[in-house]
Amino acid sequence: MALLNIQHLKVYYPVRGGFFRRVVDHVRAVDDVSFSLNKGETYGLVGESGCGKTTTGRTIIGLIRATAGEVLFEGTDLTKLRRREFHPYRKDIQMIFQDPYSSLNPRKRVLDIVAEPLRNFERLSPHEERQKVQYVLERVGLSAESIYKYPHEFSGGQRQRIGIARALTLNPKLIIADEPVSALDVSVQAQVLNFMKEIQQEYGLTYLFISHDLGIIRHMCDRIGIMYRGRLVEEGTSEEIFTNPQHIYTKRLLSAIPNADPRERGRQEALRREVEKEYEQSYSRYFDENGRAHPLKPISPTHSVAIP
Amino acid sequence: MKAEISGPTPVGANIEKSPSAFSIMWREVVRDRLALGSLIILGILLAIVYGVSLFLDQEEIVKVDFLSIYSPPSAEHWLGTDYGGRDVFGQLIIGARNSFTIGLAITLITGLIGLTIGLIAGYFGGWIDNVIMRVIDFILVLPFLMLVIVFVAIVPKYNVLTFILIMSAFLWTGKARLIRAKTLAERELDYVSASKTLGTPDWKIIIFQILPNLSSIIIVNLTLNLAGNIGIESGLTYLGFGLPESTPSLGTLVSYATNPDVLQNKWWVWLPASLLILVMMLCINFIGQALKRAADARQRLG
Repeated sequence: MALLNIQHLKVYYPVRGGFFRRVVDHVRAVDDVSFSLNKGETYGLVGESGCGKTTTGRTIIGLIRATAGEVLFEGTDLTKLRRREFHPYRKDIQMIFQDPYSSLNPRKRVLDIVAEPLRNFERLSPHEERQKVQYVLERVGLSAESIYKYPHEFSGGQRQRIGIARALTLNPKLIIADEPVSALDVSVQAQVLNFMKEIQQEYGLTYLFISHDLGIIRHMCDRIGIMYRGRLVEEGTSEEIFTNPQHIYTKRLLSAIPNADPRERGRQEALRREVEKEYEQSYSRYFDENGRAHPLKPISPTHSVAIP
Repeated sequence: MKAEISGPTPVGANIEKSPSAFSIMWREVVRDRLALGSLIILGILLAIVYGVSLFLDQEEIVKVDFLSIYSPPSAEHWLGTDYGGRDVFGQLIIGARNSFTIGLAITLITGLIGLTIGLIAGYFGGWIDNVIMRVIDFILVLPFLMLVIVFVAIVPKYNVLTFILIMSAFLWTGKARLIRAKTLAERELDYVSASKTLGTPDWKIIIFQILPNLSSIIIVNLTLNLAGNIGIESGLTYLGFGLPESTPSLGTLVSYATNPDVLQNKWWVWLPASLLILVMMLCINFIGQALKRAADARQRLG
């Protein structure tokens, strides 16, 4: 059974205008998205900025209210729960934030930051608590004495590790990683990503990995969903998406991956031109008259595309 | 900031802390000659005022003595006497104590109310914010001075405490607005979202996560407000709607200058009080400016 099952999730924001600030339209941030995550796998959510991937992640963890749809976590619909009923599930779903600079409170010591979830869910003596925090920090590769330091004394990569340590303290089942490395420089990115893979194997974690960087997605994910304007346009295994893209938006995304080899430059450019031409010619085939993508249709057991 | 070079230290020992908000403010005040001087002068003034007032008998001072009306400064009356033959020096000390206590109390009470309401409005937003802000708007459009005059007239037992309460009832709105605006900005940061996903209840997020990040702005605002609030008491008393004459205050002494004869020929009645108000407000303002710079890293001197 799937660990997390998202059914027809919608997040609409009202656009108000006219007399009495009536609702005249909606911004469809997430527009009828369905997918599921199996235990132990990494699901990548890819798309351009503003396509609703972060909103999807934040809705799953309850930071944003869903307008409609279901988020089934081990069979329980999280969107219907009251705040108090949601509390036990907080332990199982944790989030790694995009910006390691604003996601750690500058006025708190690392000990207080990492121990915050422990203080909410477990009753530990200060000594046990410190030991547990030190254990997690050592797991993420930080020295035990850093518990008395403040966030500004760490580099970006180290800060992101603190964020990961905080998400790990409660032994969650699902971690939503919202662009966990996009604020870090490339050498540190690899370090953090490999570390995330390690702990995934160690703890049997499931990741929902949100990113716009296709290289990272390919490195990390088992299955991928491509989002465009709040809708999924293609979903499949990593292999299928990268070798056999079907939707025009996926093709455009893939053709935009820069190639470091200068000898390939000509070919890359030709490919890009070709995709661009196809996009212009067949736009109406992939999108309906309102510019929305069609519902997903399976073309193989694991691969589905938004075509009419 | 100096680079910290330290070898591996045993856990628990040698806790290296980043400079706290308080130590940054202290450093800024010490760096600024004017602010440091102001702090010393203010400290000495307050020590004298509160110290000496312990030895003075208010009943004795406000007692009318017709034999020594408007006597100039002498060994017996250091700053002379007023139209009732009352000792001006004694009134000055007790008046300064009353004025400063009133200013401080108003500042603290309005600070507390404004902080609570501003934090709640800013953090929860939505209809809670809407309701609170409309109430604040309503209080702001009321004619403040006129209402204070009405209250002064209808309150049966009018003394320092009632004065403080009446003023506080109106003056908390500005602070609530300021704190709300800062809270709105702060709650959008990811550490607040992180706390929510970690299962921390809202009241804990407000008090232990957001409040520490507002501390510097609160201290600055309260300091600058303190000067204004001392002025408010003096101003209202000058207009005749402040404290009764049986309770000496700086404003009472200054208001004697409405009499042209006193203003021209009897300087000892009003000049000391005016100077004391001037010096206290300037000192507090200079300190406040230094604290304000400390709150903004780009403006700091050191």
